[in-house]
Amino acid sequence: MSSVLTDAPYRSTRDLAGHRALVVVPAYNEAEAIGRTVRDLRRQAPWTDVLVINDGSTDETAECARRAGAKVINLPVNLGIGGAVQTGYRYACENNYDLAFQFDGDGQHRARRLPDLARPLMAGEADLVVGSRFLRPRGATSSVSRVTGIKILAAAVSLVMRQRITDPTSGFRGVGRRGIELFASVYPQDYPEPESLVLVHKHGLRVREVPAAMRRRRGGASSIGPWIGLHYMAKVLLAILMEALKAPVRLEEEVAQ
Amino acid sequence: MMTWPQRIVLLLLGLGILALTLELIRRRRLREEYAVLWVCTGIMILFFVVMPNVLFSVGAWLSLDHGVLMTFLCFLFLAAIVLHYSVVISRHSEREKHLAQELALMRDELEKLRAESRESPPPPAEPKPRPPALRT
Repeated sequence: MSSVLTDAPYRSTRDLAGHRALVVVPAYNEAEAIGRTVRDLRRQAPWTDVLVINDGSTDETAECARRAGAKVINLPVNLGIGGAVQTGYRYACENNYDLAFQFDGDGQHRARRLPDLARPLMAGEADLVVGSRFLRPRGATSSVSRVTGIKILAAAVSLVMRQRITDPTSGFRGVGRRGIELFASVYPQDYPEPESLVLVHKHGLRVREVPAAMRRRRGGASSIGPWIGLHYMAKVLLAILMEALKAPVRLEEEVAQ
Repeated sequence: MMTWPQRIVLLLLGLGILALTLELIRRRRLREEYAVLWVCTGIMILFFVVMPNVLFSVGAWLSLDHGVLMTFLCFLFLAAIVLHYSVVISRHSEREKHLAQELALMRDELEKLRAESRESPPPPAEPKPRPPALRT
């Protein structure tokens, strides 16, 4: 247990004191960047298993990921980000992983920083750990309008959760076993990052943010283009509100189904 | 008041909807759960044919003349149908997502099993004992 709380990088799963860790990389037409992302993960986070969820890509995504050494699951139809990520959580749940991380395929997340997410989970201090670009001033590499949008969302999520959240749209995050089980049974579809924070909060799981610098993306395009920014904001705010009003699921029933 | 021609047309309409719904269920082209709204609609229309005054007093209470009242009722009915469909579509998309995920996970499992069986071919099957001859 103690060794994992020391410095990265870990060399093997033994450093995790028996914890098994999965990195879920949802990918839709990311052939350009996915290979390098997977190789980075394999090199810099060798204590994890890398699972690429190919969300019905029409390019070479699956082949590139497999060649780079990832395990690939191919969805027969395009489910969108929420459905793809949830597939990874279901895999983690069925295969008894203790930790599951979300990692973008486009190269903006840093594999080297995964231990920052793992530490609070393994110490039992949190059930969901989010890497935030805004906890340290140097972290953000984004346009002014986008940062403003994120701040508004952050205010809304913080209000609902009664806890300070600085980067609700960050897809760089990790969960422990409770989070894996929750997400395997219910996961938001359209704007999963901010919504899932509220979801987790409603089910009594503890959320923690840690500082995480991110890179610019290597290829592909953000799912949030500049034109639909306002539209996105309004929809996400509505979705957060709805998520806050929804009845929590009872996990036992869901699993039994 | 409702004129006799109006009553006859509405009567035929109500009976027609009910008959069509029941026939579609009988031929298994329409599932019962989706037929509830249509059966209710048919029954409502028949109810208005028999007791139109109930409808008209509601209209009078809302200060609506007959035309507006009918339009309002039609709108209400269509809104109910559309809402019902939205619920059904949501349920189906959730199921579709679940099935796609299950399929992807199972295909992965299958490939793993195949790879394993290639690595270690199963022991050759023992020759099956011949079935005993049937005695009659």
